[in-house]
Amino acid sequence: MGGHLQPDDATNALTQIRLQQARVIDAVLVPAWYWWAVAGGMLAIGAATDTRDAVVLAVVIPICALLIAALTAAMIFGAYRRAQLRSSDLLGGRGAVAIVAFVWLVVALTLGIGFALRAAGAHLPATIATAVGGAALVTGGPFLMRRLRQIMLGNRAGQPR
Amino acid sequence: MSVARFDELIHAPTRLQIVSLLAALEWADFKFIRDEVNLSDSALSKQLTTLEAAGYVEIRKAFVGKRPRTSARLSKTGRAAFELHVAALQEIVERSGASVLRR
Repeated sequence: MGGHLQPDDATNALTQIRLQQARVIDAVLVPAWYWWAVAGGMLAIGAATDTRDAVVLAVVIPICALLIAALTAAMIFGAYRRAQLRSSDLLGGRGAVAIVAFVWLVVALTLGIGFALRAAGAHLPATIATAVGGAALVTGGPFLMRRLRQIMLGNRAGQPR
Repeated sequence: MSVARFDELIHAPTRLQIVSLLAALEWADFKFIRDEVNLSDSALSKQLTTLEAAGYVEIRKAFVGKRPRTSARLSKTGRAAFELHVAALQEIVERSGASVLRR
């Protein structure tokens, strides 16, 4: 029954468990460069929109949208192929709400600023709006990942009572 | 009532690493486990076989194209044993008067 085990050894084992699970969670989280890449794609779409050039719009928007979608799919399925996180247990309702809220916040911020600037007759409204949306992604993305990490570590199996 | 049970099979350092890792996952690719716990293919196979024999781990072999892919996951029995083992470790620490690290 482990009666021979010293408290120090038990503490070390618990630390090892915690570190191992933290490593697994870190391995499946989105890296910081992903947010920069998506923000860059958004900015390119915004800048292309402001040119109002049909050729630029027809080329840049589909390419950037495709690249963002492909990168996102590669992130999700790449991690999924290597290891499937127990997301329902680990993320729980709070994690799902955090992800949805973040996506809505960025979309609402970008569209809101874009339409407001356009209504005000500002120069380059889409570029400015996507730059702000991109900045929100770059700063908020890693923050979201830290929050999800915190939630998942709190929900992990074998969490101290 | 105590719901803690020290598990000698899980407590072996390498198996503790493997089970801790699998506890956070649904399924894990063999290579992912191997790289995370820093074991050779044969050493990992041996440990997984031991855990499978105890009913703690389920092994799934599939083909992706022509390449075989082996995955593993903790069974319900394995997950329960792990939870009880962690509880036993916590009890040992708490009995000594030390606090259990939460983060």
